[in-house]
Amino acid sequence: MATMPAFTRKHEAPAASVPAPEPVTRAARPRAARDPFRLRPLPHDDIFFYCKRIDNSRLVREADPQARGACWSAIGAACLLLVLLTSAFAPTAMTTLAGYKLEALHAEERRLLEERRNLDLQEAELLSPARLDQLAHQNNLVTPSSNQVIHLDKPEGEVAMVK
Amino acid sequence: MERRLTWLALIIGIWGAAILANLISLQVVHHRAYAAKARAIQEVVVQIPAPRGTIFDRNGQPLAMSISTQSVHVNPQKVPDIGVASELLALVLHLDRAELESKMRAAYESGRGYLRVKRNISAEESESLRKMALDWIGIATESQRHYPKGELAAHVIGAVDFEEKGNAGIEKALENELRGIPGRARMLTDVKRRGIESQQAQEPRAGTPITLTIDERLQFVAEREIAAAVAAHHAASGSVVVMNPYTGDVLALASYPTYDPNVPPQPGDDPSARLNHAVSVPFEPGSVFKVITLSAALETTSLNPESPINCNGGKITLYGRTIHDSHAGMGVVPMKTVLARSSNVGAIQVGLRVGQTNMNDYVRRFGFGRRTAIPLPGESPGKVRKLQYWGKTSLPSVSMGQEVSVTTLQLAQAACVIANGGSLVKPRLVLKKGNQPEPAAPPVRVLKPDNAITMRQMMEGVVLVGTGSRARLAGYSSGGKTGSAQIFDFATRHYTHTYNGSYMGFAPLTNPAVVVVVSLNGTHGEAGFGGQAAAPVFKVVAGEALRIFDVPKDLPETENARTLVTRNEDLDDLAISDLGAGGPNILEDGDEEDAAPGAASAAAAAAASDAASVGTMVIKGAPGPTVPNFRGKTMRDVLAEAAAKGLVVLPEGSGVARVQYPAPGTPLHEGDRIRVQFAR
Repeated sequence: MATMPAFTRKHEAPAASVPAPEPVTRAARPRAARDPFRLRPLPHDDIFFYCKRIDNSRLVREADPQARGACWSAIGAACLLLVLLTSAFAPTAMTTLAGYKLEALHAEERRLLEERRNLDLQEAELLSPARLDQLAHQNNLVTPSSNQVIHLDKPEGEVAMVK
Repeated sequence: MERRLTWLALIIGIWGAAILANLISLQVVHHRAYAAKARAIQEVVVQIPAPRGTIFDRNGQPLAMSISTQSVHVNPQKVPDIGVASELLALVLHLDRAELESKMRAAYESGRGYLRVKRNISAEESESLRKMALDWIGIATESQRHYPKGELAAHVIGAVDFEEKGNAGIEKALENELRGIPGRARMLTDVKRRGIESQQAQEPRAGTPITLTIDERLQFVAEREIAAAVAAHHAASGSVVVMNPYTGDVLALASYPTYDPNVPPQPGDDPSARLNHAVSVPFEPGSVFKVITLSAALETTSLNPESPINCNGGKITLYGRTIHDSHAGMGVVPMKTVLARSSNVGAIQVGLRVGQTNMNDYVRRFGFGRRTAIPLPGESPGKVRKLQYWGKTSLPSVSMGQEVSVTTLQLAQAACVIANGGSLVKPRLVLKKGNQPEPAAPPVRVLKPDNAITMRQMMEGVVLVGTGSRARLAGYSSGGKTGSAQIFDFATRHYTHTYNGSYMGFAPLTNPAVVVVVSLNGTHGEAGFGGQAAAPVFKVVAGEALRIFDVPKDLPETENARTLVTRNEDLDDLAISDLGAGGPNILEDGDEEDAAPGAASAAAAAAASDAASVGTMVIKGAPGPTVPNFRGKTMRDVLAEAAAKGLVVLPEGSGVARVQYPAPGTPLHEGDRIRVQFAR
């Protein structure tokens, strides 16, 4: 069997200082002096391999009519799976998001109700009879007698009023 | 290749199976345990606040309401450095650093794990503390009660303690209705403790809003006037009650001294300021009680306003005891004059005709001696002795308002009997609970309608010619009775020179819209008598009440020429005359105090001319037409006769004319109107 060293050696350019050995015949084949450090030749060492260039450029994979379908099927299946998963989990996610919003709105409602109570309290303090009396005195106003009070008919759509 | 794929599939299958097995283990086998753990971490129980019910006046003005506030507390055991912490908190909460640090150190050394730093912090302060995110600082939401009108109706509304539990007034009486029950909800939170979902575990029940019968405008006027009167007459205390005589609605209930329920009681505060003098402090009413005596006489005897009563010159001796009038000289006078001039002797004579049994009966029928059941804690029933404990002198004493103790509210309730035509209506303080109107107790008949009207007319005489001239209203007819009772000193067992000056009245006369009772306790001298001290308060309060409720006038504004004979402003109705220092009990001996000379001579002149009716008038100018007698005529006849003569008649009721004012024969002047009461 050819080995990689023999294979590579075959492609090495012969050295110029090394003369070409003479053809050896049977009669006058002298036994060459053996290099003691040279390994014995391996079996089939004299078999030479050569690189055969194969041109596969004309080789074209045959189109698989089923592959396209399989590909699209896979894509479709994946999309379907995605839709199913989304349909399955989206309500939960939306519920969670809605829950966040709902709790935030509840907190906002409580805050606004509390703010309204605070404003009611402030309004009540501002409308305190003692305060109104003090303001009247400061502005030199007196309580009218009953014959000085004239009640007008209430027009429709009046907005400002005192309770 | 296929073997590889097979091995790969096998490995993946084993892996998948392992995952599935773990899933089943987590979500099926150990589901409950892990769910419980998750709940413990994610779920928080939040309290849903239920604010305490708001208290409104009859016009919807809030008198008491609760709002949420936030308070800051720290755990002294977890504070890393008390000095730094106190400086930080003092900076954020605007507190005194040294004081805060000492408090925190004391709490730390005593091992306390909770110390409230400040209550009612602002939103900015709360936000600043939250942003710090320190585990030893906690912010709690609390409810705080506010009384936006300050001292207004403090004794009616009451106050709450630090746990927002009522401890006085309506706050205490209706604690169960006002108190809200907070709810609980389980909230699912995320890692940042934001709420995702909540589920109500216990529904909150907000406190029921209460609407009172009080009108804050009238309440303010009543409080202002009684405070001024107490200050002006150096009295110890005072009270005013304003009622609607038909429904029993308490429109105003003022007590002085008063307090601000927003300010918790401090050590050293005067406890009498928190005492409701109108309801909880009984007193001897004095001459005001003669109204009851005369009412009982109209009901149980044959006496009428014209019946002659022998005042015996202002002095009577019974069972060894001498009783005097506050002014001498009255002889035989009509019964209506007894009331107008507030004769003690006359009242005793009337009381003797009524008798003990009837007197006791009618005193109790008028509501004295028992609570009115108004929803205010600490109401006193007053004191009326049981008949078996009446002594020989009890009837004379009770006849002139002694030996009984009553509250201002009871006097108002009794005045309503006369004002509304003879029915006892219970005082009502709560108009609505939530949206449900409170039903009024059915009235109980005490007097016949005719007698009630007769009493009204006699009480008008008190205003026109008697001791209540200072209560006269411009544009409105009114009736009333003054009272000036000396206060008994239990230590020395003698009556003192301090008085309970009171005035009980109503207006207008024919169809009373308001009843006002004023009581000043601990006044001094003549200026402290009911006609001097309490009547002017009635005038202002009743005038304001009539203006607020837009009651039409029944008299012309200007004073007509019908001036009064006597100088009534100098008359007094002192139930017991001035005794001097250390005087004995008035029922054993009496003393005389001379009234002003003008009044005395005028009183004598009036007494001498008492054969005429109490409505005797001095006519200035030429005599003109007189009031015709409509009594016994039908309404058609009365109106026809009035139209023919060009007279203005104000009819009331239906049937036959029973009572008219002015009385027949009275001179008429331009603009005068004649009120005629019809009955079947």
